[in-house]
Amino acid sequence: MSIFRKAVLGAPLCLALLSGLAAAHDLVFPPGEDARFHWAAYEAFAATHDLRGQHLSVDGPWGGIDKQMFESVIAYFEAATGAEVAYAGGDGFEQRLLVGVEAGAPPDVAIIPQPGLAAELARRGHLAPLGAAIGAVMRDDYAAGQSWLDIATFAGPDGAPALYGLFYRVDLKSLVWYVPGNFTDAGYAVPRTFEELQALSDRIVDEGGTPWCIGLGSGPATGWPATDWVEEMMLRLHPPQDYDRWTRGALPFDDPKVIAAIEGFGTIARSAEQVVGGPEGVAATDFRDSPRGLFTLPPRCYMHRQASFIPSFFPAGLKPGRDFDAFYFPAFSAFSGRGQPVLGSGTLATITRDSPAARGFLDFLATPIAHEIWMAQSGFLTPHRGVNHDLYGDPVQERLSEILLGATTFRFDGSDLMPGAIGAGAFWTGMIDYVGGASAKVVAARIRQVWDTLE
Amino acid sequence: MAHPLSALLAILLCLGACLGWLMLSGRVLDRLMPERAVLIRPWLFLAPAGLIVAFCLVWPLLNTVWLALHGPNGVGFVGFGNFRLLAGDARFPEAFRTTLLWLAVVPAAATGLGLAAAGLTDRLRGGGLVRPLIFLPMATGFVGAAVIWRLVYDYRGGGGLDEIGLLNALWTAAGGSARPWLTQAPLNTWALMAVLVWSQTGFAMVILAAALRTIPAETVEAAQLDGAGPLRIVLRIQAPQIGGAIALVWSALTLMVLKLFDLVQAMTNGQWGTQVLAGLMFDWMFGAQDSGRASAVALVLLVLAVPLLVLALHGVRREARQ
Repeated sequence: MSIFRKAVLGAPLCLALLSGLAAAHDLVFPPGEDARFHWAAYEAFAATHDLRGQHLSVDGPWGGIDKQMFESVIAYFEAATGAEVAYAGGDGFEQRLLVGVEAGAPPDVAIIPQPGLAAELARRGHLAPLGAAIGAVMRDDYAAGQSWLDIATFAGPDGAPALYGLFYRVDLKSLVWYVPGNFTDAGYAVPRTFEELQALSDRIVDEGGTPWCIGLGSGPATGWPATDWVEEMMLRLHPPQDYDRWTRGALPFDDPKVIAAIEGFGTIARSAEQVVGGPEGVAATDFRDSPRGLFTLPPRCYMHRQASFIPSFFPAGLKPGRDFDAFYFPAFSAFSGRGQPVLGSGTLATITRDSPAARGFLDFLATPIAHEIWMAQSGFLTPHRGVNHDLYGDPVQERLSEILLGATTFRFDGSDLMPGAIGAGAFWTGMIDYVGGASAKVVAARIRQVWDTLE
Repeated sequence: MAHPLSALLAILLCLGACLGWLMLSGRVLDRLMPERAVLIRPWLFLAPAGLIVAFCLVWPLLNTVWLALHGPNGVGFVGFGNFRLLAGDARFPEAFRTTLLWLAVVPAAATGLGLAAAGLTDRLRGGGLVRPLIFLPMATGFVGAAVIWRLVYDYRGGGGLDEIGLLNALWTAAGGSARPWLTQAPLNTWALMAVLVWSQTGFAMVILAAALRTIPAETVEAAQLDGAGPLRIVLRIQAPQIGGAIALVWSALTLMVLKLFDLVQAMTNGQWGTQVLAGLMFDWMFGAQDSGRASAVALVLLVLAVPLLVLALHGVRREARQ
């Protein structure tokens, strides 16, 4: 029985009422009530983790509504262990973390969105290796567990590889958004293979429509949606090992394999028929405005490839599942032996200052309940197979989760793994130049040239 | 209230410290070496300002030079390696050429238009009403101007979306078809330069109008009697007499163009061939986190500014001599 329940049951009436009110505020789903949650695992966690009187500071990139969501998860940890958690969170997290680390005053637990940054901190000895138990959860309970494990395994200060992070909350990229009604009206079926997708695109063109909406505009980050496209093409045209070598810099950027991936993106983005507005429209359109073409009458485009967050930019009042839906950006049937590669990103929970409370918090984030509390409230994807997927509120979230769990290979957003001068610089510029008419060869050689000058 | 009060307190403290320094140091000097006090006192009084200049200007400059000769984060001496890398990177020559184009076009255009506006509104009835309109863009920050002008240059991709850009509206009304003004080089750089000229013409006009007032009316009257038209009067009679003010406006605009970064960043982010040197410096510093190459770009900018600094110093000396 959890400490929380003991407190509620054992207290006098008025106190119970008061704490009941507090609990209604603190714990969004009263423990033990809704049978869809894994309360037994929660109780087991509480029974083995007594951290009364301990304080824990946590920092991460989530602010606003996400901060509220994460704090609602943290409340369960506090109730179960008696520890007090302070979550800072919000914009400027990377700077806060780096300054804190340099000044010798980091948070106890840091939730890091870029594996590259976590690897750098691990190399400099600022992260504590996580135990085998956490590794076992990721390997055994996460879909494509080995992929996740590999991404979170870095060389420590002594050069020995160890697990330094637990993936908690992920974003999914390999998605094509569409309006089911438009597909039914035109008699189109959701394509299961890349070949079918190409056939569907050509058919839409033949019937006078435009298949795709693409927008590369994103203010100071203009160009990044194109890097996602190229990464998806890399994963579909070549084995995942090539993708890994490419993001590490071992496969040169102007290798024919990379050029083929860029040109794969170009067959759509540089075509006047395949994409709304042609290449000029692709370059000039903001990625947030781009999906609106799906919802016009008649539709300006039928498909939009973008990550799981994009519905936030859809017109208001649309019903998920009825007014929009998503399907897996399919793989080539010609390479069916490679299974279903999925591209995405995610946040890594790491220990920046070791303590029993920090270890306990990581143990908590590995339990299903830490995932279920958030996913039952709002957009939250997890590769954890041990969570109850009935808790997803809407059918589209469920579909995304199915795609994530069906992944045989998971790869992290490559531009986040590359050096900043490439992944947040030359790669963006190169893609803009490519859409503007430069040849893939020239663009790739230019990016390689910059990469060669980095240490 | 805490903020203004503490600011006031800081000002008083600084003033007090300066006064205290002047009085105390003077007294100590008189006591220690009265015979050399006259020689040393000026240097003593200059010391606080000198220290601030050294700390805020000289030290950062030396640090930039040091960083430019080292690798990322100041690790490892690389000599002129950063400059070699820049020269070999296609982006640097592109940004260098673009910056030169800005330097050649914008100060000249803004000064010329400003002079014309100053001269013409001076002799125009209702000129007093026109001037604030021309000056108004000055009150808009560059990022604000970028937002406004992005709407002017807006392009929706022609895929059935209604075009909302002002320029495309005019263009299509004149019989053309909508164009992406900001994503096609070299036209886009000219579109960006037009924004800066729009924003700075008012500045040139105000300074030059004030200078025109100082010209003796007789010279203009004499020219009018001789039958000179208004444009001729501005160009041949008035402009030569306010050469100093024109040089001032021109060099202020040149310095502004050299450090121009926000306008380009906010409108095109330096993509589509519009990058300028200051933007490239920002990219290397904060995108790639390479302080070495960023400092190397900063030094190139400094070298470009040197002729202006020499001219300005020369002017100051000449004035001091007069």
